[in-house]
Parts: sequence; C-alpha cells; structure tokens
Amino acid sequence: MALCPIERGGRRDPNLLISDLEDRPAPARKKHGGRGRDADPQSAGEEVLLTQYLVDPRGLPWKAGQTEGITFQCQVFLSGTDGGPEAIRFRFDPCRRVYAHMHLTAQFQLLLGGTMDFPKSTMKLRPLAVHYADHNLPYGPFATGEGHEMLVLHPRQGGLVSMADREARKQINLAGRQLVAMDKDREWVEVLGHEGVRCKFLLPPGAGPQAMIMECPAGWLMPVPVPAYGRYEVVLDGSIAVEDRSLGPAGLRYVIGDEQPAPLKIGPGGARLMFLSFDADALAGGLGDDRLSRAAAEAIERAI
Amino acid sequence: MADPIQTAPGEKSFRVVMFADFICPYCYIGQERMKQLARDYGVHPQWRPYWLHPEVPPEGASMPQSADRDRARTVKEWLEEMEPEKAARIRFPGKLQYSFLAFEAVEFAQDRGLALPFTSAVYDALWVEGKDIAQISTLQEAAAGTGLDADELGRALREHRYTEQTRKAVEASRTAGVTNTPTYILGRTAIKGWHYYEVFQTVMEKQGMLPIKP
Repeated sequence: MALCPIERGGRRDPNLLISDLEDRPAPARKKHGGRGRDADPQSAGEEVLLTQYLVDPRGLPWKAGQTEGITFQCQVFLSGTDGGPEAIRFRFDPCRRVYAHMHLTAQFQLLLGGTMDFPKSTMKLRPLAVHYADHNLPYGPFATGEGHEMLVLHPRQGGLVSMADREARKQINLAGRQLVAMDKDREWVEVLGHEGVRCKFLLPPGAGPQAMIMECPAGWLMPVPVPAYGRYEVVLDGSIAVEDRSLGPAGLRYVIGDEQPAPLKIGPGGARLMFLSFDADALAGGLGDDRLSRAAAEAIERAI
Repeated sequence: MADPIQTAPGEKSFRVVMFADFICPYCYIGQERMKQLARDYGVHPQWRPYWLHPEVPPEGASMPQSADRDRARTVKEWLEEMEPEKAARIRFPGKLQYSFLAFEAVEFAQDRGLALPFTSAVYDALWVEGKDIAQISTLQEAAAGTGLDADELGRALREHRYTEQTRKAVEASRTAGVTNTPTYILGRTAIKGWHYYEVFQTVMEKQGMLPIKP
C-alpha cells in the first residue's frame, strides 16, 4: 500500500536548524483517525492520533474524473476519510473555464506543470506556483493549459462546492485569504551554516500560511520543526527517506501535531523539497452534517 | 469633507457606500449590487469616487499593457460565468478614459438626490454604448434619462462648479483607506472586490437589516 499513515510518539527536539519554518505550539484540535473511521487496516478500530502520513505516488492508480464537463486524471494520495488530510494529484485537460468553486477547508494548490490562468493579471500561474485559499473562500473561474499537473492539498476533507449554488454563497468566508506565488518571482537565500542548502520563500513567514522551497545536498539529515497546524512536505526533485521509506518526485509527507516529526534523510542525488504549512485557518470549516457539507462531499465523490 | 461616507440628513442611519471608478469593469458589475440593496432593504446607497488613473489626460490614454486584448478576453470570460446577462452586453472601451468630469457630474446628481440612477446611466454609457464619459454631451445624455436637468448639468460642468467638491471627495476616498475598486461599506463591514449578492445579503442581515419585502 502506497499510503502509509504512521502513528508517532517521539519527543520535541529543541535543536531546530530551520528556524524560519513555522514553529509554535499546536492548538487544540480534533483527534485524527477516530475510532472506526480509518480505512487503513493498521488503525481501523482503534483510537489513534495520526501525526504523519507518507505517500509514494508510484503505486497509486490514476483515475479518470469529470465535473461539470471538465475532464481530468487524478491520483488520490490521501482520502481524508480517517479524519486526516486529503491530498489529490490532478492533471486537468486543457479547459478554458474551470467553474468558480470553494472548499470547506483551507487548501494549497501546488502547480507542477502546465498553466492556470485566473482573470486577474497578477494570477497567471506557471510552475512552480502556489495558490492558497482559506476555507469557504471561492476562487475561479480559471483556465488550465496543456501539460497541467497540480497537487491539491487539504488538512482535512474539503469537499467541492460550485458557486452556482446560491445557498452556498451565504456561507462564503468574507475574511478569507487567497494567496499566490511563483518560483520564478523569488530569489534563493543561502541557509547559513549549511553548505549547499538554500531556500526560497514563496509565501514567507509572517503571512499566515507558508510555502518554501528547499534545495538540499545529498545525505543531509534534515531536521524539521514542529508542524503545529499541519504541513505538507513534497519532493519536487531527487529523493528523501523517512524512517526507511524512500520517496521520489511528487512523493510527500504530511505532518501535524505538537511534536517534532522524524527528520528527512536527503537521497544520494540531493533533493528539492516544497514545504507548505497551514495556519490557524486549517482548524476552521470542514465537513459537518449540514446540507452544504453533504452536497460538498457528494460533489467531490462524483468527480473523482 | 472629513468623512467620505457621511450620512445625508434625514437618511436612514445604515450606511451603504460604494467606492468606485467608472472605468473599472468590476465596478460596472458591482453597481447592480447597490441597486439591489436599495430595492430589497430600502437603503440609500452612496457612490463615492475612487480615481484609479489620475494620470490620464481628458482626451484619454492608450490602454496599459495589463489591459490589452487578452485581459479583456479573460475578464469577459469571467463575466460570462459570473454575470452572463452583463457579459452579453459589455463592450470594452478602446482607450483608458478620463473619469474626473464624470465624478463632477456625480456630485451634481448627488446634490439633487439622483446619484444612484445617474451613476448607473454613466456606467451604461461607457460599458454598453461605448461612449466617452469625458465628454459633457455623454454625461448630459445620461442625466436626461434620470430626471436631471441636462442643460443645468452642462452649465455646471463648464463653469467648474463642482470641481473643488469633487477634488475633496476623491481625496477623502484615499484618506479613508480605500485601496481598490470596488470597495463597499455596509454598516460596519467593508467588502472589497466583486462578490455574489448573497454575500451582501448575509452581511446586511447579520447587522439586523431585514429585507423590506418577503
């Protein structure tokens, strides 16, 4: 099984080398992987707090999907059915208008290939690009171009809500943030004290959710800070190993909680990694028992 | 003018204000929200000028690169989904127009209690009929359809009777902290940019404003 949630204990290591990553106490939150909700045989039927998920996409099937006539291929990395994170890799066919929609949890979209064009002149996204939206914040329509590929990353199941739903419009998060950044617009910064390590902040610390690319030399055992509200660590190039599991391009780890996750061992060819950290908005929203939640859950189920 | 969104004497205390410029297509679309609020909640929205391009001369200027044909196309595609009726009628101007004269005309209309219909007529002149709103004749035609005295408006504009008042209104919008268009003030809540009408309804009703019709 490519999807491998791991129950972690561990202790908090105060010796953080990457101090710019978000490092603050985790807030109170629901337990992950509640009893009987986790489809994974390792955790089904027992009370577990999953603080780390590893995904190796090589073993995951591609599925054809469609929503409102928009066609795509997708790989479900993490289903979120255990109350944990939801992560999906999409390859949209070229489409002039992906309809305006929102999700009920915060979301990062990491554009790995092709194009995503929003009407705003400052939102013509080219890889690598990050698009972030708070929960219940509509975005789009947007156009996707040839070779499109993106990771859609949520802290929990986010559902899918078309803005054609007039009742749903009443639940828009008016204070919601939409942030975009592109790799090409940012400069590399050397990480002092670590030869061969440099980073690039797409969404810098202090702006809420964060996005950072790190270029790491071969063999480095990279400590990472406490993830607090949840953090995706995505392999862009090269490879990493986490607790004897090797992950290549598009492989990822999701970590959450107030304890320091296991370090990342950089592979023999080095690696370029993307760190995507949620902030407190990751605690807001989510699928409940109301009409909108049910509709949102059904919509994503139909699509993929 | 210290407060750009001062409540007019005798007006209901719930303030609804739109900061806008005629040359902004999102403001053209957003104007409809003001008309809907006036109808549904019995409020009296104010339209306040936010001058996006004070550098443009009265004869207009060529479009900046960001507003080229591609941009017009993507905005139109956006409109087709968000506001299909407006999208079918919209006509993108061939140049960046000078707004200040139209702002002066709004002050004239506001003094006569007809700013809302007049601003709608000016938007239509620009975005539907493709006219130049820096021309007094265009503004007079817009005024004539709203019950304003078009001749008097022409005289007021030629004599610059509203120039100083308009300058103060533009300055007041800037000092009020408006940074983009459209920006709406609904009671205690600011709404920036285009939004669905249902968002406006939610904001109104959260502040105790109920529709006047069921």
